[in-house]
Amino acid sequence: MSAVLTDFLKALRASDVRVSTAEGMDAVAALAAVGFEDRTLVKNALSQALAKSPDDKLRFDACFEHFFAHEDMQRIDDAEPEAPPEGAPPNDMPPPGGGGSGAGGLLGLLESGDRAALQLALAQGAAQARVNEIRLFTQRGQFTRRTLEAMGLVGAEEAIERLEAAGEIERARRARRKLVELREEVIAYVERQMLLLTANAGTKLREETLARIPLARAEARDFKLMQGLVRKLAKRLIALHSRRRKIARRGQLDVRHTLRRNIEFDGLLFDLVWKRKKIERPKVVAVCDVSGSVAAVSRFLLLFLYSLTEVLPKIRAFVFSNQLAEVTSLFETLTAEDAVAKAQRDYGWGSTDYGRALAELEAIALDDIDHRTTVLVLGDARSNYGNPGHASLRRIHERARRVIWLNPEPRTFWNTGDSEMRRLGAACDRVESCRSLAQLEAVVTEILRTAV
Amino acid sequence: MHPESGLIRLGFQRAHEKGPVVPTNKLPPEIGARAAIEDIKAGFDAAGYVCSEAIATAVFLAVRLGKPVLIEGPPGVGKTELARATSTWLEKPLIRLQCYEGLDEAKALYEWKYGKQLLYTQVLKDKLGDLMEGAKGLKESIARLHEFDDTFFNEEFLEPRPLLKALWAKDGAVLLIDEIDKSDQEFEAFLLEMLQDYQISIPELGTISARIPPVCFLTSNNTRELGDALKRRCLHLYIPYPDAALERRIIERRVPELCAELNRELVAFVQGLRAIDLKKVPAISETIDWARALVLLHANTLDVELVRTTLNVLLKFQDDIENVDGELYALTSAARKAR
Repeated sequence: MSAVLTDFLKALRASDVRVSTAEGMDAVAALAAVGFEDRTLVKNALSQALAKSPDDKLRFDACFEHFFAHEDMQRIDDAEPEAPPEGAPPNDMPPPGGGGSGAGGLLGLLESGDRAALQLALAQGAAQARVNEIRLFTQRGQFTRRTLEAMGLVGAEEAIERLEAAGEIERARRARRKLVELREEVIAYVERQMLLLTANAGTKLREETLARIPLARAEARDFKLMQGLVRKLAKRLIALHSRRRKIARRGQLDVRHTLRRNIEFDGLLFDLVWKRKKIERPKVVAVCDVSGSVAAVSRFLLLFLYSLTEVLPKIRAFVFSNQLAEVTSLFETLTAEDAVAKAQRDYGWGSTDYGRALAELEAIALDDIDHRTTVLVLGDARSNYGNPGHASLRRIHERARRVIWLNPEPRTFWNTGDSEMRRLGAACDRVESCRSLAQLEAVVTEILRTAV
Repeated sequence: MHPESGLIRLGFQRAHEKGPVVPTNKLPPEIGARAAIEDIKAGFDAAGYVCSEAIATAVFLAVRLGKPVLIEGPPGVGKTELARATSTWLEKPLIRLQCYEGLDEAKALYEWKYGKQLLYTQVLKDKLGDLMEGAKGLKESIARLHEFDDTFFNEEFLEPRPLLKALWAKDGAVLLIDEIDKSDQEFEAFLLEMLQDYQISIPELGTISARIPPVCFLTSNNTRELGDALKRRCLHLYIPYPDAALERRIIERRVPELCAELNRELVAFVQGLRAIDLKKVPAISETIDWARALVLLHANTLDVELVRTTLNVLLKFQDDIENVDGELYALTSAARKAR
């Protein structure tokens, strides 16, 4: 049974239910407690040991139904109303030839029409052929063949040929047809296994690729997938960092610590200890260039930041091309995707003017920037040979906890042409090249590590 | 203070690894799973709790495997009630810990009896002279002092809170940690030791293990995502809104005065109501309240006017009541057909 359970866990993981080893062991213990006779009981017990959220339960149910489906061989069974055709030899005759018991076995099984035995043979054959290792669609044929061979296909074919040679044409014809039907069964079985094991493999592969490709080159049809990916990454970061947020409880006497500390003073309450925890309220001011090539990156950065509201309670977001606009309220009223799209539509026109945008940022937000604020600027620093606004940025830098500049261009392109990265970068604590979701995640993690 | 000096081990080894948690005449180990579950269903029915197959399985596994059960589901489907019914069925006391933001170990686990400890120091001061009589020099006095046990941080001065009470319970207990999602994440982490090994560490005393591991239930309304570490240690039971048949049986059990026809109408109505997009979908507890109200009103059948006047028992938001108002006729006539 443990082999079956291992396979089932594999299938569960493939359908995106996270199962740890400890939970697998729980499942074994639960199964030992409930036994195997009762299907609903097994299902409930496994579900409680393995699927730990409503979503997981849904996926578990689907996976369970697939995996432990009652596999019927109806096609083989009702192909022939079992009336022995006249002229056929009495069925107590041993399979002709009888070379290789396996071969005779398969033919015998086919002729006897014993569904359960055939099903068992199929399962054994599949195990022998390692069907549970199937990965790709194109492997179906190969695994079908291997399963059939493990069931004794070759011997059965030889036996049929011998039947034909012996003149039992009718019997051979029927056996051949059953063999074809069996092949169909095996194909169906292999396909079911493949679906079970690889349901999400394609998506996973795609997600891994998408995390690494430059955002500017991502195709529009992938945006939906990438948004899901951003949310997944954000969720991971939230889980990682939310534990560090502390709650302050001021003015509450910590009796325990007070007493312990005052034992040396004869138990007189001399030195009071208060329950107090430090509270950190990180603030982020994000300023994004939303023109042209930077747009793709800024879109995901904003999406990322707004997915993190659980750990980043205060975010102010600004977008600019030639003038600056605050989009914080947009994000509060619309979903992140709609908000980003609207911001790009409304403010994404015109050539970038860093001097003006940064001066406006200074005017609007400088009062709000203090020693807890992280200022994130996302832009390619190409100022069209105008004022790069480094003086404004320097004044912001003096106030803020830190300024991080994210540039979607690779480092080799910086400071070429109208790129003012050197002058602007001098007013930042860090400058990073930020081109893909993976890099974006690294940057946001870094912010959280020090800001939360 | 020597770190080991005050260490007392109150419990035995991890008892839950050896079989059923609570020594009970219920669920003897030789009885099969199917029979045990039927047993649980019948026992719970007697305790006034109608449980589905999944719930009975969860209780069975909790008792057999000695693992805590995390119960999730919308409010009002009987999560807390399940723990209460289990306690009635097992004939063990129910110890309840209600979680809230700011709950800490002093309120959940133990507190020192500070007043007593202060008195003790006073007494000690008075007696110190007698004890030290005849001792020569500081060294000898200290040596003599060490002969005494550390009585200051001692079991005597420990004020048990729910978690410790559950560990100390003589014949085992049912521990309910209610609305764990309302507590802080630090508290959740603190619970992990308790849930895994049924033991807790008190810095001054050492590790205290359960005399008899309690049957643990945790409930959550999912106001925040619980940590994976906590989920991994628990069996997970999701209680959804019941289907019509189960809900009818629950009403039958809880409001026996209600006639069967009206029961069928009422359940059909509530089931219909749940399909509508509402702020707060009526749960079983609301259905029971409504059934009781209808009994009080001597109602025999549902009609639109009756429903309209009593709807505030089912729906708790004015918005919801207004939203549903237009559909009342359709809902009521559909419910009538179920009669």
